[in-house]
Amino acid sequence: MDATNGGPEAVPRVVITGIGVVTSIGIGVRAFTFGLREGRSGARPITAFDTTGFAHGNACEVVDFDPAPWIRHTPLDDLGRASTFSVAAARMAAQDAGLVDEQIRQRRSLVSVGTTDGESRDLDGLVALDLEKGPEAFPPAVARRYPADRLSSGIVRELRLEDVEAITIATACAAGNYAIGYGLDALRSGAVDIALCGGADAVCLKTFVGFYRLGTIAPDVCRPFDLNRQGLLTGEGAAILVLERLESALARGANIYAEVLGYGLACDALHPVAPDQSSIVRTIEAAHLDAGVSPDQVDLISAHGTGTRANDVTEVAAIRDVFGEDAMPPTISIKSLIGHSMGAASAIAAAACAIAITEGFIPPTINHEQTDPECAVDCVPNHARAADLRIVQNNALAFGGNNAVLILGKHLGPQQA
Amino acid sequence: MVTSAGSPAHRDTTAISCWATASPYGLGASAFRAGLMTKQAAVRPLPEELRAGGPHEEGGWVPDFDIKAVLGRKGTRSMDRLTALTVATVGMLLRSAGPGLAEDHPEAMGLVIGSGHGSVKSIMDFTKESMTSALPYHVDPGSVPNTVMNRAASQSAISHSIKGPNVTVSAGVLTGLIALNYATALLRQRRAEAVLVGASEEYSAQRSWLAQRADAGDGQQTSGPLGEGSVLLLLEPASRAVAYGRPVLAEVVASRFTAFTEPEGAQRSLARSVTGALQEARASPDQVTLVVPSDRGGYLGDYENAALSAVLSDHRPQLVLTRALIGDMSAAAAAFQLAAALVHANTGGLALVTSVDPGGNAGCTLLRLPAASS
Repeated sequence: MDATNGGPEAVPRVVITGIGVVTSIGIGVRAFTFGLREGRSGARPITAFDTTGFAHGNACEVVDFDPAPWIRHTPLDDLGRASTFSVAAARMAAQDAGLVDEQIRQRRSLVSVGTTDGESRDLDGLVALDLEKGPEAFPPAVARRYPADRLSSGIVRELRLEDVEAITIATACAAGNYAIGYGLDALRSGAVDIALCGGADAVCLKTFVGFYRLGTIAPDVCRPFDLNRQGLLTGEGAAILVLERLESALARGANIYAEVLGYGLACDALHPVAPDQSSIVRTIEAAHLDAGVSPDQVDLISAHGTGTRANDVTEVAAIRDVFGEDAMPPTISIKSLIGHSMGAASAIAAAACAIAITEGFIPPTINHEQTDPECAVDCVPNHARAADLRIVQNNALAFGGNNAVLILGKHLGPQQA
Repeated sequence: MVTSAGSPAHRDTTAISCWATASPYGLGASAFRAGLMTKQAAVRPLPEELRAGGPHEEGGWVPDFDIKAVLGRKGTRSMDRLTALTVATVGMLLRSAGPGLAEDHPEAMGLVIGSGHGSVKSIMDFTKESMTSALPYHVDPGSVPNTVMNRAASQSAISHSIKGPNVTVSAGVLTGLIALNYATALLRQRRAEAVLVGASEEYSAQRSWLAQRADAGDGQQTSGPLGEGSVLLLLEPASRAVAYGRPVLAEVVASRFTAFTEPEGAQRSLARSVTGALQEARASPDQVTLVVPSDRGGYLGDYENAALSAVLSDHRPQLVLTRALIGDMSAAAAAFQLAAALVHANTGGLALVTSVDPGGNAGCTLLRLPAASS
């Protein structure tokens, strides 16, 4: 399938016209772009919970975030921390797209938000309350707001949408790519006319303990592809993208960040926590097929790149299988900057890819000293690099072997195409 | 690779060709069918080990569900009840559906599971273990996967070798309808040849407390007694079902979803969903032969009934209510409504399954039922 050919049978083209981000290195597109370009680190000591008893306790938390400018209609008590991020990011994305709420409300829409933990941060708090006072003390507002669906339905409520499908996709750490992919399908099929898609998660004790117990938390910082990498840092935040068909974006003269060319999904069906090389290959190939691109056209890979021993070796081996030993494009991990923001990770990475395409630079993989020969890629170490990016691939791999790969492309005006 | 919308004449219809359930009536579709047809109440006192100090005395719990007895000892040491109910139901579906599925085409099979928030029991037990152990990381590593919401879907894929798209979705009480719509999109975009789609909930004291405390201070919209179980439907193009010798139990014709801000907006919102779905199906209200509402009681139940009366006007199709029989299935509620529609799918015409969520979402799915067979 040629994504650029015309004709009545052509699959509708879908573009990103707005980005909202809440991250540990910047809130909003401008600050986030600056953080990516400068290679800022979001790592700092955890404040979300008491880290007494752990040998180390860094994460990439969002600090000094005031949601009030973004959330106007919803009492903040009605939203857990992850939903607060998703709703704020949605409002930012809408504004960035040049849309007032009413313009979204008038169209048939989809809101799809990926997450790993939903409001598990709230469940942390309820467990502590249970231990102290018993479950009779659970605040009703918290008991109402914890289910994962609130990450998407919270956006619907805040924007007062009416003709809308709201879905939270809880496919762990690949969920953001799943949510964007569903938006692409809904726009391609004509089911909706605009989609707000992305991911959100909040740092929580539960997930920190889980990764810590599995021996995958880095003591200080995350060093993807480095010989001395020691694991991941948990992170948090949200990214919401405004997706619409190219024709509607052009008709309203919208700024276009990038085109969503396609995506692929596949499942290892092998192990609850270990990734599998062959099914990552299968996922990448499915994404390339859907996007109508060949490996030699890919200019950049935004890797899942958690910085654990196992992930980086397995993921790079899969990339090597698809692209060839000597033809792997630059392969970066923004988890070196913002940690692993779980279900938000691939959505924030997709936002970073779209920004990289628009701004013409590759965000660096920071904290990098010596590349591990077992996962030897050009990870654009420590400093951003100017680049004309036409096709970018965004990998996401999740617990349970749930893989999702998204392909974005530069939007070329008619005179450039 | 990807189909454009195309004209309906050229598009294969999307069929439900088999289904399975672990329900409060026991394991299997036939137990659910028998219970529903005889309107046997499956809400009953909770056994002590399930109640575990929770506030509800009764529930619609799945009887005789000992995980190791049902699934064997291999791989079940750390498996929680939600995962086990799902794995068992996927297994029942694959066994009864026949050829052309996971064994033959593992990479072409998708799996879409609806869930409220995974297992809140597994998540909260794990966090409690961390908070009460001598050191905060003295936790069972085998239970880590249970704390992630995609556990039921991914473990079902592992247990049954389903290697296509594997997705966990959450949409409140609408979850079953949203999952079905997601699965339909996977098929129409040719990301899978066939999809197992449904939703699951487990009973636990934690879920029970959360439901009870969520009700506190509201007083109008109460949850409970809670139900548990899993429903899985096999979704595939009708031509594929026929090729593998499976019946078309129902065709998925249209789904529509809407939202409302204030509770009193629920009626208008649901009416808009139903009207929109009927328009998409190019059908009139009098073609609806069966209605399975979410039956939530309270003000939402009133608004749901009012919306249905407004759209269907004088037309009175057969009404199937399940909540009083099997309990509040939370995120599995709409999937059980779909199963209930399939139980009664001998009427021909259209089945309308509706749902209204207190979080402000409404929606419906229209199924075309085969004409009554002899």
